Amino acid sequence: MLGLVKAATPSAPPRRESRRLSTRRYIAKVRRMTKSRVFALSVSALILLPIMFGGLAGCQPSEKNKNTEFDVASFYKGKKIKWIIPYSPGGGYDEYARLLSPYLRKYTGARFDILNLPGAGGMRGANELFASPSDGLTIGMINGSALVTNELVGVKGARYKIDEFEFLGRVVADTHVLIVSNQSGYKSFEQILNAEEEVKIGATGLGGSTYLDAVISKEAFALNLKIIHGFDSSSVIRQAMLRGNIVGSWGSWGSAKDAVDDGRHIVVLQSGTERNADLPDVPTVFEMIEISSNQERTLAIVTAWESLNAVGRPVAVAPGTPADKIQFLRAAFDKAMHDPELLKDLKQAGRAISYASGDEMSHIVESATTMPDDIEQLFVNAIKGEL
Amino acid sequence: MGIIEGLVSGFFQAISLEVFPFLLVGAVFGLLIGVIPGLSGHFAMAMVIPFLYGMEPGAGIAFLLGAHSTVAQGGGLTAILFSTPGTGQNAATLLDGPPMRDQGLAGLATGAALASCFLGAAFGAVALALLIPVLQQVVLFFGPPEIFVLAILALTFVAVLGKEDLTRSMIAGLSGLLLAMVGLDNVTNQERFTFGLFELRDGLSLVPVILGLFAVAEMFDLWVRRGSLPGGLHANRLSAKETQKQIFQGIGAAFKHWWLVLRCSAIGATMGLIPGLGSAPAAFVAYGHAKQSSKNKDTFGKGNIEGVIGSEAANDAVEGGALASTLAFGIPGSSSMGILLAGLFILGVETGPNIVTYNVDIVFLMLFTIIIGNLIGTVVGLFLVNPLSRATSLRASILVPILLVIVFTGAFAVNRSGFDIGVAIVFGVLGYLMKELGYSRAALLIGFVLGFAVDKNLYLALQLSGPYFLLDPIPLTLAIITLAFLGYNVWTIIRDKRRAKDNAR
Repeated sequence: MLGLVKAATPSAPPRRESRRLSTRRYIAKVRRMTKSRVFALSVSALILLPIMFGGLAGCQPSEKNKNTEFDVASFYKGKKIKWIIPYSPGGGYDEYARLLSPYLRKYTGARFDILNLPGAGGMRGANELFASPSDGLTIGMINGSALVTNELVGVKGARYKIDEFEFLGRVVADTHVLIVSNQSGYKSFEQILNAEEEVKIGATGLGGSTYLDAVISKEAFALNLKIIHGFDSSSVIRQAMLRGNIVGSWGSWGSAKDAVDDGRHIVVLQSGTERNADLPDVPTVFEMIEISSNQERTLAIVTAWESLNAVGRPVAVAPGTPADKIQFLRAAFDKAMHDPELLKDLKQAGRAISYASGDEMSHIVESATTMPDDIEQLFVNAIKGEL
Repeated sequence: MGIIEGLVSGFFQAISLEVFPFLLVGAVFGLLIGVIPGLSGHFAMAMVIPFLYGMEPGAGIAFLLGAHSTVAQGGGLTAILFSTPGTGQNAATLLDGPPMRDQGLAGLATGAALASCFLGAAFGAVALALLIPVLQQVVLFFGPPEIFVLAILALTFVAVLGKEDLTRSMIAGLSGLLLAMVGLDNVTNQERFTFGLFELRDGLSLVPVILGLFAVAEMFDLWVRRGSLPGGLHANRLSAKETQKQIFQGIGAAFKHWWLVLRCSAIGATMGLIPGLGSAPAAFVAYGHAKQSSKNKDTFGKGNIEGVIGSEAANDAVEGGALASTLAFGIPGSSSMGILLAGLFILGVETGPNIVTYNVDIVFLMLFTIIIGNLIGTVVGLFLVNPLSRATSLRASILVPILLVIVFTGAFAVNRSGFDIGVAIVFGVLGYLMKELGYSRAALLIGFVLGFAVDKNLYLALQLSGPYFLLDPIPLTLAIITLAFLGYNVWTIIRDKRRAKDNAR
C-alpha cells in the first residue's frame, strides 16, 4: 500500500539538480538587488501608494453622506448589483428574478447580475445574503416562509435572523391549495372533514411547506388524515395521486394549476383571507373555521398559519444597509412591480404576483415571528414531525 | 388533426426557415456544452430559457430540444478522448471508450459513439411518439415498490461490471450506496454523515463526484505516468486521415450491430420512462446487457466496441423516454425535464395526455427536432473529433493543468460552491486508489446514483403498502429476475474458478 502512495507522489524531474547549485549565486544576486536605490524607491512606492488610496477611499463616505436623492441615484447609475437566488437556474425564483431584472434596471439605472446559490432548501442563499456587504450592491430573493419556520425551530446552519433583513418588498405570496385526485371520490372539503376512513395525504420533506400545511390543517380542523411524507418532489406526489396511492396533497396554486384546469385534480380548500380570483368556488380556510368544534383555537392556528404564508417570496438586502439606499431601492422596486409591461410579462409566463411594500414586509415578518406561545409550540412540534 | 397530417406538418415545420436555424444553433450549442465536463443538459436548457420569451412555439421547441438532445453526444466524445465524462450519462462509456483510445482506435470509438447516439435518439423519439397515448397506463405501473426493486436490479448489474472480482465490485457498489446516504434525510430530517458541515446538508453532488472519480483520477494517473493520454508507453499518434477512416468504420460498426443498438435503446427508453432514476443507470444497465449478451465477454472493459455502442445508444434513448413521460403527464421526471416543461409553458405549449389529441403536430415536431438535432450533432461531432484527438497527444504537463482547470470549473459551476471542488479532489484521490487497487469505479457510481432511489422508494413503499409490498405482481417478478440474475452470475464465477483449478492441476 505504501509503495502505491510513494508511486502516487511525483518525484522531482532531474532538471532541477542544476538549479540547486546556483542557489548560492541566486541569493547573492538578491542581496545585490536590495542594496540598489531603485529597489528602495519602488518598495516605498508600493507601500505608500495603497496607503494614499486607502486614505482617499476613506474620505469618500463622508462625501456620500450628503444624503440627497440625486446622489444615491448617481451612486447606482451603471453599477452592478448582485442578485442572489437561493435555487438553481430554471426554477420559479430564478424565473421571477429574470423577469423582474430588466424593470429594476430601468428604475435604478444599475445592471443586475443573477447569482444562483442553491443549497439547504434556500438557507444557503439566505446566509449569503445576510453576510453580504451592506453597501446596497447585493440584493436577494428569499424563501421567506421557509426561513421563518427554520428559525422558529432553530435549525442548525441558519446563519441569519429573518427580522434583521432589510426588506425591499414582496414579489408574491403563493396561495396554498389542498388538491385531491378526481378519482379519489372526494369532491369537497366537507367530505374530507366527515371522512370515516383515513385520508392519505402526500407531502415532501419533513418540515417542508407541503408537510407543514398538511399537519397544521389536520390539527386545526381535526381531520382524519394519514400524512405520508418523504416524496421527492411535488411531481412524484402527483404521480402517486394518479396511481391512487394517495388521495391528495397541499401545494401552491401555481404548480397545481394545469392539472386542475385539465380536470385531473380538484381544489377543495385554499389558504388566504379572500378567495383567489382563479378559485371563486373554493372555500378558504378562514371560511371553514365556523364548522370547527373549537372555533377559537382553530382561528388562532389559522391566523398564525396565514401570517406565515404571507411572508412569501420577498426581496431583501443585508442588515446595516444605509437608509437612503434602502429607500431608493424600495421606490425602484415599487415602480417596477407596478409597471404594466412587467405585469404583462408575468401573465404570459403564468406567474402570479402579490406585491407588498418593504414597510409592509417588516410588519408581515413581525406578525409571522410573534405568535402566542402555545401556537408557536404547536408549529415547532409540527415542523419537527412530533405532532 | 390526424396522425399522418401531424407527422407531415411536424416534419415540414422542423425543416422550415423559421425553425431550422434555431435547431442548428441549439444542436451545436448543446454539443459544445456536452463536451465541456461538468456542464450538463440541465445547464444547457437553463441557458436557453431566457431566449424563449417572445419566440414562436416551433422555433422555441427546436432551440430547446435541439440543445438538450446533443448534450449526451458531446459528453460521449470527451468520455472517450479524455477519459472525462462530459455528463453523468456518459460515465458508462468510460469503461470501454478510453481503452479503445489507448489501443489507437479513438476514431473507431468516437464514430461508433456518435452513430449509436443518433440511432438511440431516433429510437427514443419514435418510442416517444408511439407511447404518449398509452403512457398513462404504462407508467402508472411503476410506483415506489416497483421502482425500489428495479433499482436493486440495476444494482445487481454491478456484478456484471466487475471484471474479475465480484467481491470488489460489490464492495464498490455498496460503498456508493452508502455515500448516497450523506446529507439531510427527507423522511426524518436528520443529518446523516455530514459531520456538522453545512455544505454536506444536501449530500454529495453527482457532478463533482463523477468528475473526481473519473476525470481527476485520470489526471493523477497521467501525472504519475508522465506520458500523454493514448497509453503511457506507446503514444499511438493517429494521423488525421487514419482517424477519419476509423470514424467512418465506427459509424459502420454501429449500424452493423443494429440489433444491439435496438436492444440497448429499448432499455434506455424504458428506464427513461421511470421517473426519478436518472439517465446514468440506464447507460450502465445497457452496458451490462451488452456484456452479458456478447460473445466475447472478457474483452469488455479492455476496449470492446460493443460496450461503447450499448452505453451510448442507451443514454440518448433515455431522453426520449423521459420526454414521453414528461409530456404525457405534464409532470417532469427529472430536473432537466422540469426546466423543459417551464420552457414549454413559456412558449405556450400545453402538455398533458391531451397533447396527442390537440397538438399532435407539436409532438411530431419534437420528434423530428430530436432526430435532426442529433444528426446535426453527429455531423458536427465528426469534425470535432480530429482537433480534439490532437489534444489528447499533448504532453501531460500541458494537458493535465488545462483539463484540471476545466474540470474544477465544472465542479464549481454546479452549485457555485468551492466546496464541490474539494469534493472533486477527494474523489479524485479515491478514484485513483480504486483504479490502482482494482475496484470498479463504475460500480461505485451506479451505487451512488441509485442510492437515493433505493432509500426513498423503500420508505414510501413501506408506508403505502406495508412490508408485503414485495408480493405485488411487478415487484415480485422483478425480484425473481434479480435473484436469478445474481445467482447465475455467482454460479458462472464459481464454475470458472473450478475450471481454472482443474486446468491448473
